[in-house]
Amino acid sequence: MLKMVVCIKQVPMASELPWDPATGTLLRDLAEGMINPACRSALEAALRIKAAEGGEITAITMGPPMAEEVLHEAIALGADRGVLLTDRKMAGADTGVTSYTLARAIEKVCPGFDLILCGFATSDSETAQVGPQLAEELAIPGVVYVDEIEVCGRTIRMQRRSDNFLETLEMDLPGLITVTTGVHALHHVPLGGLQAAFDEADILFLAAEELGLDPERIGVKGSATRILNVYSPTAAKKNLVLTGAPKRIVEQLFERFGDKLGGAIGKDLKTGKRS
Amino acid sequence: MDFNPCMKHKVVRKAVRMFAETELGPIARDIDRDARFPWEVVEKMRPLHFFGLQAPKAFGGAEMDSISYAITIEEISRVSAAVGLCLTVHNSVGIYPIERFGTEEQKRRFLPAMTRGERIGAFCLTEANAGSDAGGVETIAVRDGKDFVINGTKIFVTNGGICGTSLIFAITDPQNPQRSAGVFIVEKDTPGFSVGEIEDLCGMRANPVSSLFLEDCRVPETNLLGCPGDGLKIGLVTLDTGRLGIAAQALGLAQAAFEDSVRYSKERQQFRKPISSFQTIQNYLADMATEIDAARLLCYRACAVKDAGRPFGAEAAMAKLYCSATATRVTNLAVQIHGGYGYSKEYDVERYFRDAKVTEIYEGTSEVQRMVIARAVLAQRT
Repeated sequence: MLKMVVCIKQVPMASELPWDPATGTLLRDLAEGMINPACRSALEAALRIKAAEGGEITAITMGPPMAEEVLHEAIALGADRGVLLTDRKMAGADTGVTSYTLARAIEKVCPGFDLILCGFATSDSETAQVGPQLAEELAIPGVVYVDEIEVCGRTIRMQRRSDNFLETLEMDLPGLITVTTGVHALHHVPLGGLQAAFDEADILFLAAEELGLDPERIGVKGSATRILNVYSPTAAKKNLVLTGAPKRIVEQLFERFGDKLGGAIGKDLKTGKRS
Repeated sequence: MDFNPCMKHKVVRKAVRMFAETELGPIARDIDRDARFPWEVVEKMRPLHFFGLQAPKAFGGAEMDSISYAITIEEISRVSAAVGLCLTVHNSVGIYPIERFGTEEQKRRFLPAMTRGERIGAFCLTEANAGSDAGGVETIAVRDGKDFVINGTKIFVTNGGICGTSLIFAITDPQNPQRSAGVFIVEKDTPGFSVGEIEDLCGMRANPVSSLFLEDCRVPETNLLGCPGDGLKIGLVTLDTGRLGIAAQALGLAQAAFEDSVRYSKERQQFRKPISSFQTIQNYLADMATEIDAARLLCYRACAVKDAGRPFGAEAAMAKLYCSATATRVTNLAVQIHGGYGYSKEYDVERYFRDAKVTEIYEGTSEVQRMVIARAVLAQRT
């Protein structure tokens, strides 16, 4: 029976993402949380393996107490238990420290794991670093950007797109994969499962001390990364009015945009030759 | 007193909203226009327990608390009130009476197919000469050995065209209609049971509301809920529960109309300004927000009273009265804010406006709710 761990991050809900238009920053206090879409795909992949091969799924997340929500959702969808790493001392962790913290927690609560599944990246920071760094921390092989997974005993076979190629890879377990979005349709959360997830869910809360973590290596203290600024890039549109006789307007259009138009239709507009 | 939603209720809302927006959102306008019941969405709702929201787990239900139930109906109705209507009627006046008053044998026989959504429920009280006056029911069930033979016509049956299991309100003694009323479980394949034409209604058009005909419809006596004469009691308790669902449905409609109005008022420019910058529009939005908030608190309070196991008839009536009036007012203002576009089928607010009105009529008119509330008030105070 495969012992799987799915790493989940709670991110602000994209559809209700409130920005402060004056500063271009995210108003995190107003945002509703949701399971990061790629983590949701990772969970879906684990659920598919569980349905086909059997297995046990532990959903693990690090975040504020509110992140407990996503564990209930994961359990409602079919995870067997949840682990929430929450501690003010862990707050402000960069990707390196997050991977270190997750690794130590997984070793403690899920010894003898077979497969760790992560989302390929998170929608709120997009670094795509935690998965590969977690594999390093745990000293296990890892494959990123996986689309399809097939379990063959102690080996998994994976497919992923790489530029214009479709790669098929094999990896011995234990190992780690990061999963892309959009390959499999996601299940909706069953309401009975949700009620049960709140009535009788098995959720373990862990703080830094219980994990025996070096306080110098966690949270904002241990993080090497400093975020200097996060803002929403402003997209400005400028209208350009071409004037003159129609012939002159067309000439101007080609002078200014001929290369772009030609590129779009695959033709050099000056020579008339197909590129 | 904590007015913040608990984590469970937040997660339930998100889960149902996600379902409603992805599965119902793209078709809500079309199914209203075509007066089509979306079986393809029902198919997706079945495994998610939408058809057994509060039913016991033993019979395939989700065993949700009443606030989670209200949130579910609210969120579905926010996208399609007609589908919300199907669910609230099925769950609250279809399943609940069997769960509450049925024998173990009846629960085993009827509930699993209902909670799986294979048999959609309907509650049939209204007749040509009976509605608010439950004592005016003329449908009659005559005992014949170990069976009852039912004759009569029910009208304006929500889910009528799609129901698999209907609860028929009938009298057994025409000399004593009030004391002889009973509720009979009749399945659609019973000989003598037939569905009339689908009504051509102002709103809730995706729900096939119809008449139901019972002509020498023979059911075993084991299909009678409770004892002969329990009908009125079962009817009243059932309607109390049903009203929570209608309150939630009205709330969802009002919420949808409000959100569309806020969005539109920020986009629509007149006099080179968004109309949301005008005080009149701001007053409308402020009234809408305030009334919706008050309505929501009344609705959830009634649900909490029910879950605490206390009598909740008056609270449910207040919630239903206020939520439905709010839905009617808010959807009216939403059309006003949208101006000419609001009156056009290009926008959803005209649908909300048409859908809202009936929430003041079915499962007890606003006048009946006031009667219920006044009785409670007069009984409590000297």
